[in-house]
Amino acid sequence: MRYLIGLLLLCLPLLGSAQQMTIKFEIPALDVSPYHRPYVAIWLETPKRKGVHTIAVWYEKDDWLKDLRQWWRKLGRKDAAAYDATSGATRKPGSYKVHWNGLDQNQQPITAGEYFLNLEASREAGGRDFVRQKIRWGEPGEPQQFELQGDLELSNIQIIIE
Amino acid sequence: MKSTFSTALSLLSAGLLGITLSTSSVAHDRFILPSHTVLSSEKTETVSLISSISNDIFHPDMPLGDNGKGTPPPPMIPLFKRLQSSVVTPDGNSIAGPSWQSYSRFSAADQILESNGTYRIRLMQPDTPMVTFKDAEGKPNRIFGPNPQLPSGATEVVKRVIRSSVETFITKGEATTPTTDNSDQQLALGGETHPNDLFSNEPLQLQLFFNSQPLQKAVDVTLVKQNSRHRNQRQERKVTTDSKGNFEITLEDPGFYLLSVELTEKADNNDQLDFYHTSLYVTLEVFPQ
Repeated sequence: MRYLIGLLLLCLPLLGSAQQMTIKFEIPALDVSPYHRPYVAIWLETPKRKGVHTIAVWYEKDDWLKDLRQWWRKLGRKDAAAYDATSGATRKPGSYKVHWNGLDQNQQPITAGEYFLNLEASREAGGRDFVRQKIRWGEPGEPQQFELQGDLELSNIQIIIE
Repeated sequence: MKSTFSTALSLLSAGLLGITLSTSSVAHDRFILPSHTVLSSEKTETVSLISSISNDIFHPDMPLGDNGKGTPPPPMIPLFKRLQSSVVTPDGNSIAGPSWQSYSRFSAADQILESNGTYRIRLMQPDTPMVTFKDAEGKPNRIFGPNPQLPSGATEVVKRVIRSSVETFITKGEATTPTTDNSDQQLALGGETHPNDLFSNEPLQLQLFFNSQPLQKAVDVTLVKQNSRHRNQRQERKVTTDSKGNFEITLEDPGFYLLSVELTEKADNNDQLDFYHTSLYVTLEVFPQ
């Protein structure tokens, strides 16, 4: 029995090498009045721009989800239930980290390959940022790290895949 | 004795005398301009729209449509009585459309959108007979009506039937494929690209249909970007359809665009009629990346 447990413990590091994605970004404090917290969406698309999975969407009223134009057209409007689990309220200015373990809304791992990781932010009476980064997923071993900047609404974006 | 109808139409054509009658166009542009084409609320939404006959895009000049409660210019009342306002809902049914009310320069209306999907808003002018000619001094003119009395010395008499559909598309929630079924001798816009999924710098693949069938005759499709009054060139973009009505265009600038098509066909029965002119005007909203 102890021999089997020992063998299992040895195997654990291999089992735990599933990929993780961490997306860090800042919502800048802006000197405007009134200030409205931005709506933010983070999602995955295939290289041919087919929506795959919403990693996070922060919003208040569904009336304004359409202003996250790219997320709305590729994922949001197709299936409201699909992003229900990954939605949350808007956040105030500050630094944020979003984690993703590679599972879709049905808890199934997405296929390995090339993808676009997209971030979009839209602020009432403010601007809209849309950035995207090509990534490789499902090939553990080579960690990836990317740094992006938005125009105004999102800054210091880091995408870390390990 | 002329009927009130044709008298009123004659007044209409007299009022529009300033038009140059080129062979390529028999009418001013016309458009519907909606407040929104993409909505994301789950609850019932309302969109406000204006409609106008105007060559400046999208600056209204004359109204288009009246429900009897507005203040239309009197010569336009007979035309407005002929217009048919309809909406094709996401489930494909055609129901009564916006109740256009005329002001002096545009007509306005609201449209309620309950269920999710794509709506096709239409303002259609059915077959309208018209005769163009040159008067004794050689000046071009036109009179509406099937057999109007022409002034003496009229030459180059051409009998035409004009008909048009002015449209736009609005999607609430998930986009559905809008029907291109028309049983009313009008043109319709369809194709691979959804009319509420238009973004700048992306190839838009669209298709023209006539009487529910892909349009087999090659025609020019013209697109004019909004704000024509605030620039010095009209900046028309033209593309020709293939033998199945397909065409592709990439628009670099976001904004509202008026897509217009005029299909001219020789009539079969030359004694009664020389040409059919079928026009389509579609307002499209193109978003920035």
